[in-house]
Amino acid sequence: MAPSERNLLELTDVTAFYGPVQVLESVSIQVPESGAVGILGANGAGKTTTLRAISGTVRAGGSIVYEGQSIRGFKPEKVASLGIAHVPEGRGTLGNLTVRENLMVGAYLRKDRQQIATDLDYLLELFPNLKARIKSNASALSGGEQQMLAVSRAFMAKPRLLILDEPSLGLAPSTARNVYNAIAQLRKESGIAMLVVEQNANLAFSVVDSVTVLETGRNVLSGTTAELRGNDEIRKAYLGG
Amino acid sequence: MNPFGTFVQLVVDALAQGSLYAALALAIVLVNQATGLVNFAQGGMAVLGSYIGMTIGGLFIPLVGSTAGILIGIIGAVAASLLLGAFVERFVMRRFERAEEDTKVVATIGVLTLIVGLVGLIWGFNSIPYPFFFTSSESIRIGDVSVSVWSIVTFLTIIALMGVLQLLFRGTKMGLGLRAVADNSPSAALSGIRVGGMRMVGWGLAAALGTIAAILLASKSGLAPNNFDGILVYALAAVVIGGLDSPIGAVVAALGITVLESLAAAYIPWIGHDLKVVVPFVLIFVVLIVRPQGLFGRKAVVRV
Amino acid sequence: MSGFFALTSNRWFRLGAFGVLLVVLGVLPLVANEFTNQTVSHIAVIAVAILGLNIVMGYTGQVSLGHSFFVGIGAYCAIIPIQAWWGGPLAEGAIVIGFVLSILIPGLLGLLIALVAVRLRGLALAMITIALPTIALPLAQKFSDFTGGNEGISIRRLDYVGADGQIYKGNPFAAGPGLDNDQWQYYLIISIALVFFALAYFLVRGKYGRAFAIVKSNEAIASSMGISPYRYKVLAFTIAGVYGGASGFLLIVWGQYTSSETLAFHHSIEYVIASIVGGAGSIIGAVFGGVFYILVDQVMNGLQLAKYSAVVQGGVILVILFLLPGGLVSLPRAIRRLVRRRRGGHTVEAGRPADSASVNTKQ
Repeated sequence: MAPSERNLLELTDVTAFYGPVQVLESVSIQVPESGAVGILGANGAGKTTTLRAISGTVRAGGSIVYEGQSIRGFKPEKVASLGIAHVPEGRGTLGNLTVRENLMVGAYLRKDRQQIATDLDYLLELFPNLKARIKSNASALSGGEQQMLAVSRAFMAKPRLLILDEPSLGLAPSTARNVYNAIAQLRKESGIAMLVVEQNANLAFSVVDSVTVLETGRNVLSGTTAELRGNDEIRKAYLGG
Repeated sequence: MNPFGTFVQLVVDALAQGSLYAALALAIVLVNQATGLVNFAQGGMAVLGSYIGMTIGGLFIPLVGSTAGILIGIIGAVAASLLLGAFVERFVMRRFERAEEDTKVVATIGVLTLIVGLVGLIWGFNSIPYPFFFTSSESIRIGDVSVSVWSIVTFLTIIALMGVLQLLFRGTKMGLGLRAVADNSPSAALSGIRVGGMRMVGWGLAAALGTIAAILLASKSGLAPNNFDGILVYALAAVVIGGLDSPIGAVVAALGITVLESLAAAYIPWIGHDLKVVVPFVLIFVVLIVRPQGLFGRKAVVRV
Repeated sequence: MSGFFALTSNRWFRLGAFGVLLVVLGVLPLVANEFTNQTVSHIAVIAVAILGLNIVMGYTGQVSLGHSFFVGIGAYCAIIPIQAWWGGPLAEGAIVIGFVLSILIPGLLGLLIALVAVRLRGLALAMITIALPTIALPLAQKFSDFTGGNEGISIRRLDYVGADGQIYKGNPFAAGPGLDNDQWQYYLIISIALVFFALAYFLVRGKYGRAFAIVKSNEAIASSMGISPYRYKVLAFTIAGVYGGASGFLLIVWGQYTSSETLAFHHSIEYVIASIVGGAGSIIGAVFGGVFYILVDQVMNGLQLAKYSAVVQGGVILVILFLLPGGLVSLPRAIRRLVRRRRGGHTVEAGRPADSASVNTKQ
């Protein structure tokens, strides 16, 4: 990465606590413009907390810089308004609202009506399942559909950075692959930057350029997809050998 | 009047009375913060709003005549209650956002007690008549049946209000935001919706709705600080029976409770007027035992 | 300063202070006037009720807005047998029966209601508790032959059969020779109240208190530890019923009168406010709560300030919730914390998550 290129998002020595328990000890991540970075690690390693620190859901220490501006301590609403869309653990589905309404919530901060309608159509074409259930309450959707809805909703915000928390969680392998294919396509067609937390390294590798592995709140291994795909440690720990 | 006429009159009056409870119940469901907060403060704001309406109206009636004055009073009351609701949310309720349940409940009780006390101090504790467009004893004849004007006006007004609210909630962007915050506020925040602001709007709307209901009630029974304890408890009963997260449920339950209560009072002599208040509360027991989430409720209120 | 605080947590100091308190309580009625004795007695009556509320609300975290139901039922359970049987051969036995019924029946009712209601939460549970006095009051008014309705029952002048076979009028709670009525009633009330307070103290010191606290803070954890939230919540409600009923009995000892008004819903609200103001999660807090309740009642009404009563209660409860959520009983602790912070205490560490704060720090 050329030094003159500014990273879209830069975390340096980020810390976070849940009460007295320190969940993040020192996490550092760089996401370049239009780049995609994956965060791997076991349960409890601090992956979700890292995303929460970025979106402001959790208070954090250390440095979180987005587009050259520190956003540490910003409330989630403010972080969202700056162009970061967070698809949280559990998807954050608005169950009592319809699919369409969920998507419109995604576009809440936008004012360009025409473009919103166009984007809506585009996403519904990309996810025909959603199109079919567009009038249903979101709580009636299956796990996979809800995941697609969550990703689409985040996309409706036209973010510059999309952060995704374990898109494959609770999904059957084929469904998860579908979701990742869609994510990959979205990335290709829109060029937005992504930060993806995943337990399933294979899926992550299919979409991101580089990866960092967290263990007990610290980075223990980082590198490009090419470098780490063949890495023995990762293979043993996260790809089942 | 023949028995049928009596029956109709009973039902119409009950529907009208019930619609008042329905309005307040709807207000409570509106600000339901997904935890089924017992919200006594709504009652307090309704009371204060109605007194403000009377005062403003009183100021303007000599100037612009009765009808216009009353109308200005009502508009003033609604405006004041919008602000009041937002204020209470921002400066009182938000402080207790992360508190335990019983703390939140007691906080709303504190707000209610304080507001009612202030109202009594400022305006006195005796019942004051509320000047209105017509007196509460006027009635019109429809065929063989004599129906009170107040009942008709009240019922229609509340229904119209609910229609307006439906439009707001389903048809506007702000309505979408309000519903998103009510459904899952952390998730709504992630989409950039300002949760605090939405809560303030929600409380303001609820206060305004309650105020209109209180004014309607006052036009019939007069203004007194404690007149409205009744509506609040009935409204809460309706919310519980209808289901904490169901606006329709709250309205249906409120109307249903009142009609049942009136019918029981009239047709079951043992219950009569003295014991009629027992009916809704026995209903609460029955419904909650059989279906704890309320008749129309969805979210589980049962602890596993 | 810190020496003072260290002293107050010292066990021997506390025991000693308690001993002094007992002596003062014992001697007080002999030297004080009738009004003081009656006021202190009244405080004790209310404090027992609030103690029951503390156990179910403060310790176990269950909303109870119907406490006046238990007090009122307890009062009826006490006064009706006394009115019926004190004059006859049973004599003082009627009082004992009254006492037993006044804790048994409300306790049983608390148990039955809890078995159903405790599965609910939030608004639903609160409405069930609200329903109790709301149903009971009109019923009490309706069955006025039995309950005296709105006028109530007074046992100040009951017929009884004297030693000579003649019928006289007397007060079941009149004192024997050597004591005035108010003194005798005081001793009776205070001793019973002390017993109930002691029982509560030992209850929350032991495994039950710990279980309540765990159930209150996190039911999932409680279940995983083998502590059934359901059972302990039912227990807490039953205890509230018992204590409410006991307070009803003591009310009869105090004033020899009750009416349907005792059941009124607004009393439930007053109990809750007094409980929080005193300190809902504390045994001693109930005493402070009782003091607050009586203070408002007497000062406001006595000084013709009744119209300020609601504002004062509402204002005080909000102030307490904002500034001193643990109630008056937590004042020393709060002052200690303030002092420590002034001395340059630890800074708040970065990284505390946004969702960890709890307003009500009860002990």
